[in-house]
Amino acid sequence: MEILVCVKQVPDDSVKIGLNSSGKPAVDGVTMVANAFDTYALEMATRLKEANEGTITVVAIGPEKAKDALKSCLAVGASKAYIVNEDGLGDMDSLTTGYTLSKAVAKIEELNGAKFDIIFCGKETTDCTTGMVGAQLAERLGIGCVTGIVDIELKDGGISVKQETEEGYNVVETSLPAVVTVNKPAYDPRYPTMKSKMAARKIPIGEISKADLGVEDDKIVPSVKVISLSEPPKKQAGVKINEKTFEDTMAKAMEILKDAKVF
Amino acid sequence: MYILDEEGKDLLSTVKEFCEKEVKEQCKEYDVSGEWAEEMYQKAGEMGLNAIEVPEEYGGIGISRTTYAALYEEMAKADAGFFTTMAVTNLTLKPLIIGKRDDLAQKAADILINGGYGAFCLTEPMAGSDASNNKTTAIKKDGKYVLNGRKCFITNGGIADFYIVTAMTDKEKGVKGMSAFYVEKGTPGLSVGNEENKMGIRTSNTTDVVFEDMEIPEDCLIGKEGDGFKIAMQTLDMARAVMGIGAVGVAQRCIDEAVAYSKQRVTFGQPIGKFQAIQFMLADMEIKTETARQMSLHALKLQDEGLPYAKESAIAKCYAGDIAVEVALDAIQILGGYGYSREYPVEKLLRDAKIFQIYEGTNQIQRTVISRAVMGKF
Ligand SMILES: Cc1cc2nc3c(=O)[nH]c(=O)nc-3n(C[C@H](O)[C@H](O)[C@H](O)COP(=O)(O)OP(=O)(O)OC[C@H]3O[C@@H](n4cnc5c(N)ncnc54)[C@H](O)[C@@H]3O)c2cc1C
Repeated sequence: MEILVCVKQVPDDSVKIGLNSSGKPAVDGVTMVANAFDTYALEMATRLKEANEGTITVVAIGPEKAKDALKSCLAVGASKAYIVNEDGLGDMDSLTTGYTLSKAVAKIEELNGAKFDIIFCGKETTDCTTGMVGAQLAERLGIGCVTGIVDIELKDGGISVKQETEEGYNVVETSLPAVVTVNKPAYDPRYPTMKSKMAARKIPIGEISKADLGVEDDKIVPSVKVISLSEPPKKQAGVKINEKTFEDTMAKAMEILKDAKVF
Repeated sequence: MYILDEEGKDLLSTVKEFCEKEVKEQCKEYDVSGEWAEEMYQKAGEMGLNAIEVPEEYGGIGISRTTYAALYEEMAKADAGFFTTMAVTNLTLKPLIIGKRDDLAQKAADILINGGYGAFCLTEPMAGSDASNNKTTAIKKDGKYVLNGRKCFITNGGIADFYIVTAMTDKEKGVKGMSAFYVEKGTPGLSVGNEENKMGIRTSNTTDVVFEDMEIPEDCLIGKEGDGFKIAMQTLDMARAVMGIGAVGVAQRCIDEAVAYSKQRVTFGQPIGKFQAIQFMLADMEIKTETARQMSLHALKLQDEGLPYAKESAIAKCYAGDIAVEVALDAIQILGGYGYSREYPVEKLLRDAKIFQIYEGTNQIQRTVISRAVMGKF
């Protein structure tokens, strides 16, 4: 089975990021990592591969530095990696990302000489959080898509997945090829071993340029324009209620809530 | 500060993340209970930390001494008991390599690579600093050696998959009558005795190891009969620099905790870190720690270069052990009453630091080694 996992390199999401003097996210000096949901996707894909068979390829669109994210993936289950150099692709929104990825899929399939059976994406990225790229990629490829899955198994030549929803879970079966986007499953991504980490450094990463993709220029014009960015408002200092009795404290709290028109 | 290549940095960040997420907090509980942290060690074994010193020719990762030193410091920073388990396990390969037993070294390497453990059994109730006073005997009989005796304070004693054991093949000859053996777990006559209830490094396993008419094949002898003491001493000479790094890890953790606390604790209207009295304490802690780190690295570098390193290893281990205790005391002082409380991490650091002045040769013994090297025979 041929599996592709799409991976984006993002700023470490455990670091709080503000805006710099020119109003852009101040990400200088912040460690770049593979998007958390993509690492969940890779772990799920790796478990599926281990339980059955197959090879996992990872792909990222990004700068040269994004190879680091791919290398970390090569240490925990992936055996091939491609980077799509972002030069000339301009500012990307989820629509152009989905389109560009679909072109990358075609290119990698051509290079590998095999079609992908399952394409895994994270359900969203921790930096942009649009949650749309997986679905758009599936649309461009003209194949099915199940979003927000937390479990997967092979069934009758297709897949059966557990999709997490606001209310509970759906069990969805679909034929292949298909795109799935992955939510946080019940398990954590594995740690690389010292050995796999060193071996991963030696695996060459395939380079794909804009020209290799054959993207049409009018399809990589972003539809979304970012007008401005702002930081979330700072948390206001709270109000201390210090009445003598519990009853008075409650009454005061209710009064404040009423004044704030909470109810 | 370590000078690492890209690969080394990559491994370091992996080990750092692992220690932060899987060791540091987990060890608090095991420090209290003294129980074996099964899950933590399982994960560490899977990651390959039991085998970071295994050379490439035995299927290991073959990283430089500087690189594994950096990894060890991360482990010791998270928990010195965890570091001890890993460092001693890696140490057990050395006597097999020194004794030119490629076959046994390969066997041991395979065990470590698969997440197993080794133990190094030199110390006995009557033979600590005076290791030459081993009472355990190994008598050759019908193509076998029969061992009788008791080892004590053996790191990994209760969990090891194999043991490196010293025993007297000829009592008359003194140290020249000591030999070293490779013993597999489960050998009839081998048993694990009392487990120590220790002051610190409580996440490491320390037990007596007992041999009662334990028969082992003749070819479990490492090197020749009579080589045992030399092999053990060479092993310790090599390993001491790593112990220096372990002490440095504890000292570094003390600095990290003290710095964080001094920025946040306010007295007389300002953080205590604004007082020069505290700043200078931190500076002295840093001077000692970085000096110990570089001395340990220097001793390892000498090994890389094939130059004599016994004196430098002793200096590294001795100095790093001493300053780890001093720095831990200072960290407690900076945290004041909270430093003395078990709610805060630094009192454990003092308990952990102390071992570095004792095991793998007490610091008095290190000073004996160093003074002998300085003064020569006279
Ligand atoms: C937690 C732990 C783990 C250990 N792990 C191992 C292990 O894995 N394998 C192993 O073989 N051993 C191990 N040891 C044993 C350790 O190496 C010995 O405890 C150490 O060498 C000291 O021996 P001793 O305890 O018998 O002290 P002693 O030798 O009795 O020394 C008592 C005191 O006298 C001092 N002293 C002794 N002789 C002299 C001298 N000539 N000049 C000046 N001072 C002297 C010592 O420095 C010490 O202060 C471990 C010990 C501990 C506590």
